[in-house]
Amino acid sequence: MQEQFSRAESGGAAPGAIIHEDTTVKWFVVSSISYFFIVGIIALIIAAKFVWPDLMGTTAWLTYGRLRPLHVNGMLFGWLLAADMGLTFYIVPRLCGVKIWSEKLGVATGVLWNVIILGAVVSLLLGRNKGFEYGELEMSLSVLVVVAWLMFTANILMTVFQRKYQAMYVSIWYFMGCLLWTAFVYLTGNFATLLATGVNQANLNWMYVHNAVGLIFTPVGLGIAYYFIPRTSNTPLFSHKLSMVGFWSLAFVYVWTGAHHMLHGPISQWLQTIAIAFSLMLLVPVWAVVYNLLITMKGQWHQLRDKVELKFLMSGVVFYLLTCFQGPMHSLRTVNAIVSKTDWIPGHAHMAVLGAFSFFAIAGTYYAAPRVFGKLLHSVALANWSYWMIMIGGLGFFTTLWLGGFWQGWQWNNVSIPFIDTVVALKPIWTVRFISGVMIFVGIVMFAYNIMATVLGPETEAAA
Amino acid sequence: MDYTWPSVYFAYLFFFLMFALAVFFFVKTARDGYWGKDGEDIKYRMLEDGDQRRTHE
Amino acid sequence: MLRKADTSAVWAIVASLVLFFIGGLLTTVVPPMVDKSWGRPFANADPAKGPTGTLVRLNAQQQQGRDIYVREGCWYCHTQQIRTLLADTKRYGWKGVDAPISTPDEFVYDTPHMFGTKRTGPDLARVGGRYDTQWHRTHFRNPRDLVKGSIMPAFPWIVGNPQEFTALVAYMQTLGRAKDWRPSNDYER
Repeated sequence: MQEQFSRAESGGAAPGAIIHEDTTVKWFVVSSISYFFIVGIIALIIAAKFVWPDLMGTTAWLTYGRLRPLHVNGMLFGWLLAADMGLTFYIVPRLCGVKIWSEKLGVATGVLWNVIILGAVVSLLLGRNKGFEYGELEMSLSVLVVVAWLMFTANILMTVFQRKYQAMYVSIWYFMGCLLWTAFVYLTGNFATLLATGVNQANLNWMYVHNAVGLIFTPVGLGIAYYFIPRTSNTPLFSHKLSMVGFWSLAFVYVWTGAHHMLHGPISQWLQTIAIAFSLMLLVPVWAVVYNLLITMKGQWHQLRDKVELKFLMSGVVFYLLTCFQGPMHSLRTVNAIVSKTDWIPGHAHMAVLGAFSFFAIAGTYYAAPRVFGKLLHSVALANWSYWMIMIGGLGFFTTLWLGGFWQGWQWNNVSIPFIDTVVALKPIWTVRFISGVMIFVGIVMFAYNIMATVLGPETEAAA
Repeated sequence: MDYTWPSVYFAYLFFFLMFALAVFFFVKTARDGYWGKDGEDIKYRMLEDGDQRRTHE
Repeated sequence: MLRKADTSAVWAIVASLVLFFIGGLLTTVVPPMVDKSWGRPFANADPAKGPTGTLVRLNAQQQQGRDIYVREGCWYCHTQQIRTLLADTKRYGWKGVDAPISTPDEFVYDTPHMFGTKRTGPDLARVGGRYDTQWHRTHFRNPRDLVKGSIMPAFPWIVGNPQEFTALVAYMQTLGRAKDWRPSNDYER
């Protein structure tokens, strides 16, 4: 395992060893980090607009209402999902002991994905917005997403069907779950919603929004964490059976909770109650996963000092635990009456998508990119710096928004305070959020530069 | 129609249903030998298909 | 059986889809069948049962205004729902009259729905008739001229386009008006 092979040596060695081409992985890695950087700039602009509302304020396509959907869609689909797809293309053939079913189809998926993201940038800036949260992309692009997803699904499932080893490691479970559920969740949020109106439509929309995180990013993110934590630490997973408990409970309870986005709102009380009950049950799959991953590291925590991938992975696990503790708690009616619709919520959402799932994807990219390109990582020191910048910036971001959200919630509940005073009260919060955002962005630049320098850098043999 | 109590009954029913299923599957898997020695093989195997390329370590 | 679950991909696919569809169908397809109020437009002629009024469809101009509301992403910062919280009914009330709680029957014709998730600015569910056209004109040109400390973007290109501006204001004046909640027809135009 720890033997030092160079690429040339491994070619002839180990009879029967598979040489993975990984062209698809390369496509996804490079495009996802590019979008991470580009959309990071958008993120900074909208954070700045909270502090200086007149910034770029008289150009239609640079207003907050146009840039926010670009930030959300760009980060979710351009960076995170692309990175996750690339890592799936990396992990699945290795776990199955076979080559990817079709490298050509994979590359085509990568190209199509880039077309979609570029189309999204143009159409969203023009204000062509379907008007559904996470479902903003216009119809033609939504159809292309479905096509790309079917190509991706076919490729991965065929690889799984051809696998050399019968038993499937937990990551494969999560990837398969993600592939199947995403198809239906995405169809619900982007097509079924158009057949309904009013509250019925909102219910379908929240089912999609909740499960875009719960049944798309969660399973693929956990699949990545379940693969890279044992791999980077060279330590077997604590328990395969426990990982199955986590998977099957996730499969069952996540989809029920969409209505908790409308607690106290104009939607049937009984549906709210069901959503609350299932939101609390979310603790089961989360704690099963987190316990499994944390105990895997028992006696191995010292490895975090040397391996930047493990720093990202284990921090991601802790953020996952926290964010998935917050979720069930906000769905309680009493807590919801304070935090709902406040700045607490973006703090929570960013901890899930940036703190947990992006950390897993960054770790996976740091691990996989040098290997697929056959290079040495450009700089371990820079990678560590990127970790600390994103980590400290992220913590600043999350904690200030939680604090601000609570202020806001309490002030709103005191009707003698005019609304505008509750806006002014949050200015310091938004200033700190902007500064934290700058730190996160610097970390992203370091990460993206490090990977690009690795990709474009000298061959392994030359560097060694 | 007020659904407050039906939703509470539904939640209880659900809880017992889940509990019964959990017990059922536990017994079933124990009989099938799922809890046997080789049940955990897969987690060791995933470490073996090493990527034979040079890294910093 | 679970031994098989560990090794059979087809078993895994079927089982995870079945579990998904139990929850998926029960929480999305079934609720509108159980609660008919989601699809029945609001209509009440009896003052004893609360505010009277009828939900009517938007006319062409109001619909154009709504499209602008969607296009500019107003819904990212403004919710449209008076929740079942005392603070909501008081805060968005008018001259001591509490704003009526939003009910599903008021939104039957809404697509895309504009309930929103985030209140960076105030809720707009009952904003119809709260401010007059001149106020809106000044406010859209630069919100900080009227509300010191506001962080809402300025929308000069809407104010500069009389047709769009009139449509947007026409839409906003319909918000929350299905329920005639203010005494003696006290609404701004």
